Amino acid sequence: MKVLMCLNCGWVYDEAKGDPGGGIAPGTPWSEVPETWRCPDCGSGKAEFDMVEI
Amino acid sequence: MTTATSVAPARKQARIRDLDDPNFDPFLADELMYGDELDIYSPIHRMTEENWVHPGEFRHLFGAAAALPKNPKYFTVLGYDKCAEILLNPEVFSSEPMRETIGVSFGETISYMDPPDHTRYRRIFQKAFLPQTVRKWGETIVQPVVEGLLDKVMDRGTLDLVEDFAIHYPFQVIYRQLKLPPEDILVFRKLAAAQMAFYLDPSQAIDAGRKLGEYFTPLIGELRRRSPDEGDLISLLAHAEADGEVLPEQVVVSFLRQLTTAAGDTTYRGTSNLMVGLLSNPDQLEAVREDRSLVTPAIEEALRWEGPVTHSPRMAIRDFEMHGFTFRKGDTIDLVQASASRDPDKFPDPDRFDIHRSRQVRHMAFATGPHVCIGQHLARVEMERALNAILDRLPRLRFDPDKPPPEIRGVVLRAPKHVYARFD
Repeated sequence: MKVLMCLNCGWVYDEAKGDPGGGIAPGTPWSEVPETWRCPDCGSGKAEFDMVEI
Repeated sequence: MTTATSVAPARKQARIRDLDDPNFDPFLADELMYGDELDIYSPIHRMTEENWVHPGEFRHLFGAAAALPKNPKYFTVLGYDKCAEILLNPEVFSSEPMRETIGVSFGETISYMDPPDHTRYRRIFQKAFLPQTVRKWGETIVQPVVEGLLDKVMDRGTLDLVEDFAIHYPFQVIYRQLKLPPEDILVFRKLAAAQMAFYLDPSQAIDAGRKLGEYFTPLIGELRRRSPDEGDLISLLAHAEADGEVLPEQVVVSFLRQLTTAAGDTTYRGTSNLMVGLLSNPDQLEAVREDRSLVTPAIEEALRWEGPVTHSPRMAIRDFEMHGFTFRKGDTIDLVQASASRDPDKFPDPDRFDIHRSRQVRHMAFATGPHVCIGQHLARVEMERALNAILDRLPRLRFDPDKPPPEIRGVVLRAPKHVYARFD
C-alpha cells in the first residue's frame, strides 16, 4: 500500500481524513491541497511529501 | 549482498569505558536535574490566565536551577497557539540554546541545528524512524523485550510497573537495535543517564559523551569499510547519505549518543504516566482491555495529559513582534508544551484524563515544527506493544492498596518513581 508521507516527520496524508485542523476537509484529493498548506506535525510544505510504500 | 540473517565477519569493537569518577551515580541525580514538582499545572493555568509570555526560564519559575544562567534575557511562553507559532517559525526562532545544554555532551547534534543543515540531516535520520520501519521492530524486537520483562513478574501477583517494567523496556529495545554488547549494557545505561547531567555537573556529562564517542567513532569507521547492509541501526546510519555524501562522522556519533538516552528516557516516562492515568481510572482501563481499538486513544491521551517533556527552548535570531510583544535578538524562550497540551481552549476540562476525548487537535507532547520528535513513531509502537502485553498478561490490574499511590513529578521531565500494582 502506498501513502503520501512527510519525509521530515513521517506524518501521513490520508485523503479520506484530510486535515480538518489545517483547513483541509475530509475527502480532499492531494492535488487539491493548496501549496500554502503545511504538515500539521512539522510544518513542512507539500514538496516534502512523497509516495511511500508502507 | 549481505543480509541481516547472514553471517557477517565479527566487528572489531572496543569495550565501552565507564566514567572516570566511579562514585558519580547519575540515577540518584534525577530530581536535581529534572525537578521534583508534583503540581506544575495549577501554576501554569494561573500564569496563562495572566499572560502568554512571562520573564524568566520555565524551570526557574519552579525554583529549579537555571539551565542557561549566563543568558540575561529569558522568557517563558504558555498556551497552544503561541507555542506552536514559535515552534513552527525556525526562520526567526533558532534551536541554538540546545547547544549549551544537550550539545555539551552529545556534540554536534541535529537538535540544535537550524535550516539548511537541519533540513538536510533530519530527513536522513528520520528515514530510519519512519512508521513503516519502526513497525517492523515491534514484532522482532519490542515484543520479545516486553514479554521477557513480564515473564519475570508473572508468579508474583504484584509489580512496580516502573522499576520492574517501564524503566527497562525502551532502553533494551534501542540497545538491541544498536547491537550493543549485552555484557556492557549497564555501562551504556549509566553513560546515557550521565550525559544528561549537564545542568548538575557538566564535567560528568562531558566525560560520558567522550566515552560514548570513543566507542562509536571507530565503530562507524569500521562499519563504513564493510557492507552497507548488516541489518542494524548503527550500520544503517554509518552508510546514510546526504546529497550523495555520507554523513559527517561526528554528526552520526552525536546522534548515537543522543539515541542511547532519548530513545529510552522519554518512552519509559510516557509509559509510566500512561499506567498512572489508566489505573487511576479503572473504568477506562477496563474499556481498553475490552476494546483494543482504544489502545491508541489511551496512549495519545496519556501523552497529552502528562507528556514526559514539558518544554523546549528557542532563541530569537532577530527582533520579532508577535501579539503586541517584541522579542529581541538573542532572547531565549521556553515553549511550554505542557501548557499547550492542557490549553482549555483546545482541550475542554484539560486536567481530566479521558481516553474518549476528541482527537481533533493534536497534543504537543512531541512538540511541533521541524524539530518534532524524531522517535515519536517508535515511541508509539513501543507503548502499544507494552500496553497490549500488560492487558493480556496481567488480569485485574489495579493499584496495590498496601503501597503508596504514584506521584507524577518533575519540571523538565515528568514521571512517577513507582507505580505499585497487583494482578490476579
